[in-house]
Amino acid sequence: MKYFRIIAIIIIFILVFIFLNKLLAPKYMEDLVEGSMTSAYYDEEKNHEVIFIGDCEVYANFSPLEMYQNEGIVSYVRGNSQQLIWQSYYLLKETLKYEIPKVVVFNVNSMRYDEPVSEAYNRLMIDNMKWSKEKVDLIEASMTDEENILYYIFPILRYHSRFAELKQEDFDYLFKTKKNTYNGFLINKNVKPAENLPTKRRLANYSFSDICYDYLNKIRDLCKENGITLVLIKAPSLYPYWYDEYEEQIVKYSAENAIPYYNFTKYVQEIGIDYSLDTYDGGLHLNLSGAEKMSKYFGKILKETFNLTDYRNDDNVSKLYEEKLKEYNKAKEA
Amino acid sequence: MNKKVLIIILLVIVLVVGAIEAYIVFGGKKSTKNSNQDSKVQDEASQEEEWSYTYEGMKIEIGKEFTKEKYGEEISYSEIASCAFDGLDKTYTYEHYEITTYPAENEKENILSIYFLDETIATDEGVSIGDSYDKMVEAYSDSYENHDNLYTYRKGDTLLNFIVENDTITSIEYTLDVEQN
Repeated sequence: MKYFRIIAIIIIFILVFIFLNKLLAPKYMEDLVEGSMTSAYYDEEKNHEVIFIGDCEVYANFSPLEMYQNEGIVSYVRGNSQQLIWQSYYLLKETLKYEIPKVVVFNVNSMRYDEPVSEAYNRLMIDNMKWSKEKVDLIEASMTDEENILYYIFPILRYHSRFAELKQEDFDYLFKTKKNTYNGFLINKNVKPAENLPTKRRLANYSFSDICYDYLNKIRDLCKENGITLVLIKAPSLYPYWYDEYEEQIVKYSAENAIPYYNFTKYVQEIGIDYSLDTYDGGLHLNLSGAEKMSKYFGKILKETFNLTDYRNDDNVSKLYEEKLKEYNKAKEA
Repeated sequence: MNKKVLIIILLVIVLVVGAIEAYIVFGGKKSTKNSNQDSKVQDEASQEEEWSYTYEGMKIEIGKEFTKEKYGEEISYSEIASCAFDGLDKTYTYEHYEITTYPAENEKENILSIYFLDETIATDEGVSIGDSYDKMVEAYSDSYENHDNLYTYRKGDTLLNFIVENDTITSIEYTLDVEQN
């Protein structure tokens, strides 16, 4: 009886501890929804022929459902705010545990960053990722000097001060999630025309760091080992500036490794992007109308160049995507 | 009885959390005692000396509040949002330099950096874009931090950055040391 009581107390202790960890961790469902991007993937059917990997330039600029509607492409965007290249690598590695796509599209913007930027962005990406070896490796690679892996394992250590700031969202989404993206695409319908930008500043060094090349090579090798075609892109944006020196290095890498590369900043007119209408933040990211144009343009290239399947002719997939499109169109009109 | 057990469990959790956090903070990477001392020394240094730039008698101080009343009407203005978080980095472009600000408390803006746009202006110590590396060393000494073409002179929480290419200064910027702040 005494042992039974001790075991019961230990179990209650563990349950209360788990509950508090869950309660105090940010939910990212109503507020700061960018924190729900990583976990949204887990609820999806894992049958994608194309996976997009990268930072905010992919989740804002490429709409998989637009590509399905126009070309029958089944794709998913695994992108997060300020997703650094090592984070993209581990996220791709995790993705390949669930499915092997035909094509992986990687946005090269993050090649310019060679060290962790901030804990806040790490948290947005990592907090809701499922525990796996990839998550542990990702945390190790991403932590800033002030962070400790224990803060990720036990969110209560990091977020105990939230106790006084808990909102309704923390209770509403304690055991459930809300869909904020459409195959990883985050809709933003706001319009903020591109007007003035800061002066293009000289840099002390334009060369990408060895660490960035190492991870780009790892992405290349991971794709090769799994028979996946890797495609490099630079999503359209006016800022931060994509320097000619950056471009030269990617063009060289692409040629040396026989990897296709598309720099969409050069095709803005052809795509039909109008920066007075198609951006929500003055030229950094495309809004919904810009993403639709971009997706239409790139969808055609993907379909024709990489011989992708038209899933609109597949009964099972088309049934699922009809439902997805209904929700997507509803969100577009809301 | 059950209520009592639950209260004890909660207290134990609070103690465990406190103990682990104390271990991370005090026993981990940082010693608070030392970092407090460091920051005190730094604070004192910061109060003593910070980089500032004077343009036509107007002193522009890094990390201090920016107001148009004080610095005048800009030629052009741009604002850059972060990917997910609130707040904007605002850039005010004047004829010869650009001031970038960051959001501070009470919706105020503080000066993050001053970036020289041309060779017609000089630092308070008389160095301009187009001058040589030797002139920079003559004015500021050779006690700089160097990475690639970047030469940095530190004062408190502020930095004065020169980019030198082929022995010629091609960029001058005063900025807040964002890693320290």
